[in-house]
Amino acid sequence: MINVLFFGPVVERTGTNSLQVAYQSGMTLQHLRDELAAQYPHAFEIVCFSAVNEHHVRDLSMPLLDDSEVTFMAKFSGG
Amino acid sequence: MKAAVRIQQEDFSQDEEILALKASSKRMGGIATFVGCARDFSEGRDVSQISFDAYGSMAVSEMNQLRSEAIAKYGLLDARIVHRICTVTAGDNIVFIAAGAEHRAAALEACRWMIDELKVRVPIWKKEVTPQGETWVTSHP
Repeated sequence: MINVLFFGPVVERTGTNSLQVAYQSGMTLQHLRDELAAQYPHAFEIVCFSAVNEHHVRDLSMPLLDDSEVTFMAKFSGG
Repeated sequence: MKAAVRIQQEDFSQDEEILALKASSKRMGGIATFVGCARDFSEGRDVSQISFDAYGSMAVSEMNQLRSEAIAKYGLLDARIVHRICTVTAGDNIVFIAAGAEHRAAALEACRWMIDELKVRVPIWKKEVTPQGETWVTSHP
């Protein structure tokens, strides 16, 4: 399974802060993003950043491994 | 001694943080600090409260990396970053950053660099509570 996390403004639009997506061999970050964006189009309007296992990932063609933790995040506003 | 990088609910003591920074080296001749605090007005609206959400483990990891990069980039002797994750009201502290170097120029430049980088790299989000409702802040001027 892929563990997906949401925070802050994205949670407000998904209605959940986590969910699990079945892992498929050859799955990339782009595949996962497309699948979730279709389910939560309003939330993904504000998604600007992605992280895999707590590391920023800009290349959406990155292959995912089973049990990865993936986060789709809105623009940050700390400080 | 408290960790040099951390997120926490409770307020921080600037005096304690500076003492901890100074304790790391007797060669420190300049310390620059930045304190971010809550305002009661933003984007033309009154703000009664600000609450924060964070991807905690990644935020701490990014802040640690930020500190290490600042130390290497500016030749710092030490640096500290503390961010509160809670609900605050006007005047409350939010974030503390300190850079210690042999001379002032490196300390001042590093301190400015760290807060600027924190705002664009660290997964923390702020929500303002106003009379018109609650709004997530998505800009970082």
